[in-house]
Amino acid sequence: MSAGPYNYSYIFKYIIIGDMGVGKSCLLHQFTEKKFMADCPHTIGVEFGTRIIDVSGQKIKLQIWDTAGQERFRAVTRSYYRGAAGALMVYDTTRRSTYNHLSSWLTDTRNLTNPSTVIFLIGNKCDLEAQRDVTYEEAKQFADENGLMFVEASARTGENVEEAFLETAKKIYQSIQDGRLDLNAAESGVQHKPAQPGRNTQLNDQQANKDSCAC
Amino acid sequence: MQGWVRASRVLALVEHDGHHVLFVFLSSRVPPQTFSDLTIERLLPIDADFRCEIDPDSKHQDGVDVYVNISSRKLKLLFELVPGVKTSNFVGEIFRAIEVFTKRRGPPPDFHWLQKYTGNMSRDMLPESSLAEVESEALQQSEEQQDDSLSSTLLDLECADITVPRQSIAKGTTPIAARESVIRYQMAMKEHHYTYTQVLRIFIGTWNVNGQPPTVSLHDWLAGDPEPPDIYAIGFQELDLSKEAFLFNDTPREEEWQAAVINSLHPKARYRKVSLVRLVGMMLLVFVQEQHVAYVRGIAYETVGTGIMGKMGNKGGVAVRFDLHSTSLCFVNSHLAAHVEEFERRNQDFHDICSRMSFTRFLPPKGIKDHDHIYWLGDLNYRITELDPKLVKECIEQANYQPVLECDQLRQQHKQQTVFVGYKEGIINFRPTYKYDPGTDTWDSSEKNRAPAWCDRVLWKGEGIEQVSYRSHPELKISDHKPVSALFDSQIRVIDAVKYRRIHEEVMKKLDKLENEFLPQVMVDNTEVVFDTLRFLESQCKDLIIANTGQVPVTFEFIKKLDDSSYCKDWLNIEPFAGFIMPGEKCDIKLEVFVDKKSAFKLNSGEDKLYDILVLHLEGGKDIFITVTGTYERSCFGSSIEALVYISVPVREIPVGRLMELENSKEISSTQDPYPIPKEIWFLVDHLYRHGLKQPHLFEQPGLHSELLQIRNWLDQGSPDPLPGCVHSVAEALLLLLESTAEPIVPYNLHNICLNASSNYIQCKQIIMQLPEHRKNVFLYLCAFLQEVLSHTNENGLDAKTVATLFGTIFLRDPPRSRGDLTSRVRTNQQALDRKKANFVYHFLVNDQSDFILGR
Repeated sequence: MSAGPYNYSYIFKYIIIGDMGVGKSCLLHQFTEKKFMADCPHTIGVEFGTRIIDVSGQKIKLQIWDTAGQERFRAVTRSYYRGAAGALMVYDTTRRSTYNHLSSWLTDTRNLTNPSTVIFLIGNKCDLEAQRDVTYEEAKQFADENGLMFVEASARTGENVEEAFLETAKKIYQSIQDGRLDLNAAESGVQHKPAQPGRNTQLNDQQANKDSCAC
Repeated sequence: MQGWVRASRVLALVEHDGHHVLFVFLSSRVPPQTFSDLTIERLLPIDADFRCEIDPDSKHQDGVDVYVNISSRKLKLLFELVPGVKTSNFVGEIFRAIEVFTKRRGPPPDFHWLQKYTGNMSRDMLPESSLAEVESEALQQSEEQQDDSLSSTLLDLECADITVPRQSIAKGTTPIAARESVIRYQMAMKEHHYTYTQVLRIFIGTWNVNGQPPTVSLHDWLAGDPEPPDIYAIGFQELDLSKEAFLFNDTPREEEWQAAVINSLHPKARYRKVSLVRLVGMMLLVFVQEQHVAYVRGIAYETVGTGIMGKMGNKGGVAVRFDLHSTSLCFVNSHLAAHVEEFERRNQDFHDICSRMSFTRFLPPKGIKDHDHIYWLGDLNYRITELDPKLVKECIEQANYQPVLECDQLRQQHKQQTVFVGYKEGIINFRPTYKYDPGTDTWDSSEKNRAPAWCDRVLWKGEGIEQVSYRSHPELKISDHKPVSALFDSQIRVIDAVKYRRIHEEVMKKLDKLENEFLPQVMVDNTEVVFDTLRFLESQCKDLIIANTGQVPVTFEFIKKLDDSSYCKDWLNIEPFAGFIMPGEKCDIKLEVFVDKKSAFKLNSGEDKLYDILVLHLEGGKDIFITVTGTYERSCFGSSIEALVYISVPVREIPVGRLMELENSKEISSTQDPYPIPKEIWFLVDHLYRHGLKQPHLFEQPGLHSELLQIRNWLDQGSPDPLPGCVHSVAEALLLLLESTAEPIVPYNLHNICLNASSNYIQCKQIIMQLPEHRKNVFLYLCAFLQEVLSHTNENGLDAKTVATLFGTIFLRDPPRSRGDLTSRVRTNQQALDRKKANFVYHFLVNDQSDFILGR
């Protein structure tokens, strides 16, 4: 079968990184399936998810790579950074160690992706307020100092999950619009698929009117 | 498209007596092999309710799956056809069959002959004789059926047993191509969930103006009702009877009448013109209230002439179509053939207009019948022939229309289903509209003395249309016809934007979910493969089971990690390293670890460990990491000469750390003096010296693997017993020991120098003098031993050239090369190099070395 016409204009590649157990797979699951995955097993490898979203009227297909967080896989998961347009860097608001490791994740991201890669910091598990171990303020400061986008989110309640994925896409799309992101670069993490004409939804006029209404 | 996924069907277009039926078959095999594979699933007669559209996504695109929407009554089907000549021929045949239907004459076919198929839906019941023409294609199709009831729709949606694998979804290509078609189709299926009906008042007017200019106000005709209509469709006939109008289709009347109409539209609302279409004297004007303009789309108009020569525009029809919200509307204004007796010509004109009116901006072009609501107006010219004109006039004077209407040709023909099949007309409760003396309400006073007739009519077709009034307007007297108007309350399906968006989102979400569910999924029974203690030359195997737990076939492959040259370490072998698994099936993967002469030294020195992370990649899906670990038991095989000379005990008796230290340090600090040569070499050579000098084929015949392992253990562990194994095994062990080192006796950096000097014994000697001490010792020791071997040529049959060739490749082992070098290296070149190595060694086998050895 041949590759057919596309109904999206771009493909963005995302990676999700961060320590083991911070909830990377749950965030992905919440985003693609709108469900919380309780008892999520450790990811042994790299999970893959996809969803089509809408940014400024453009349909964008997100290809999301959810990496294993275990330290022993770190060397292997580094292979997956290449060509990511967006990196979601996740820590657990209830475990300070996962926050402390952020600089090392950030170093990897900066070294292994291109300068235009959008890095979005997510403090997951913000629903567990009683067990909070990292304050919003210090994480916000870390994000600001390093030029990262930031939200606290909860894969359990879904709070801010959608936002994090969408805001990242918006930023990437903006970079394309501004010409900061070179689509021709192999490692941009963005593929452009020219949309076919006449594939709008039913609400839009599918054909140009032969006659216009005029009186 | 069944539910959301494909199911295969076979389509056949069957013709019987000039009527066509689309047969949809289930097939037990794809493609079907015999007739018995096929079961009729449904029969779709190609009749007035049959519609076939190519999905707009797939048209104009070559090599793309073709999506065809077929609907018949309440049934909607979506077929996906593989692209190609066969498909386009087949679809062409369907269109041709539709055309045949629209052009046919007489009452609609009853398709009685289908009963024998519907009665017993078995392929055996299909008599060959009835298959006058069968266009059968084994096509991949998708089909979805929509029942009327909402519950079954939901059932379809939530149906969990999606059993049909869809490989292409996993590949991420075709499903996207399909996606927009599927979304549109799913949305069409759920239309009643996001639409509501809005009743709009539609005014239809028709007037044969007999070539008169608009000298009177049209207000009484167009704006006589208290409330303004939402839509006006106003048709005129005989707008201009001049030759110019006929020949050049140009007339000043168009502007005049348009202006007159616009001036007389209902004053309580503001209107915008949708379209004006005119063919000679037939003009159709359509207006909508301003508030609806934003929801008008797909405006098109067409004309059909059926006049002189069957083509000219003095008779025929003009039509305007557009979509309002979610309902398609078509207005046809026609002027059918004149003359009292010519009702058959009128029927013919009607059919010609139906078949030839084609809105070509659509693909396939839309005809009149392809609309939800059709309003047909005009001077249809049907007369009263069976009653005496006098009697007709009498009845009319008494407002006793019924007996006259019984004789109305249109009523009669309509009843006989020869014309306007499927159309409705309201009750006529007004005087005939033709023929009057212009300017009066008196019947035509000419000598023809014809019966008055209801020439001017309005008919409609479609669901949700209710006629509110049907009347004539005798107060407009300028023509020999009176204008007619009809008011309708028509149910227009309106899209609720909020609901539409919500359902659209649901559909999108469902598709996203499906797409993720259709990603390849496997279970691997073990992601941490641990091997037992592993020894040199002893292989171990472990099985790994990859089970396809997903919905789609999986293509898997162990892939390289970043910067690695291979998908696994060289001591590991994966069989198979790539493959294909059907859903529900498994694949056994054999992992074999085997440390040989190529990998031993790295493990010995600690440069490498028995540890690897394999990346199992599923095409179009995720990656799984499989960790392989084991403990390697170090051996003298793979240890360097420099390390071995410092080890006075069996290798396994010293701590691993000490061995690694010896392997890795340049300056070896040791309390004890090193041996001149490794004791292991001495053991092996000594054994051969004592037992093997006279052995035929020494070094040529391979040893036994089991004995090699015994010798390895004897060397590594130490034993009071004599060295085990036959002479050949010991000889092979010696060669293996020399081959397993990180570097050969002659280091790689001297490799080329040696080859270049190989013809010159003096130079060769000088090079050997420069070797590190222990290597030089081993070299000369072995050469001396080989000279001894060669002194027994008579018994062992060896000659110096053979031995030199063999040991040449060992002493001067080729440096490791990158893959590229290896392939580019010419075979003859390798032979020349091997000859040079042999030459180099040969000198030391045939010349007396005693001075050399003793001198230094």
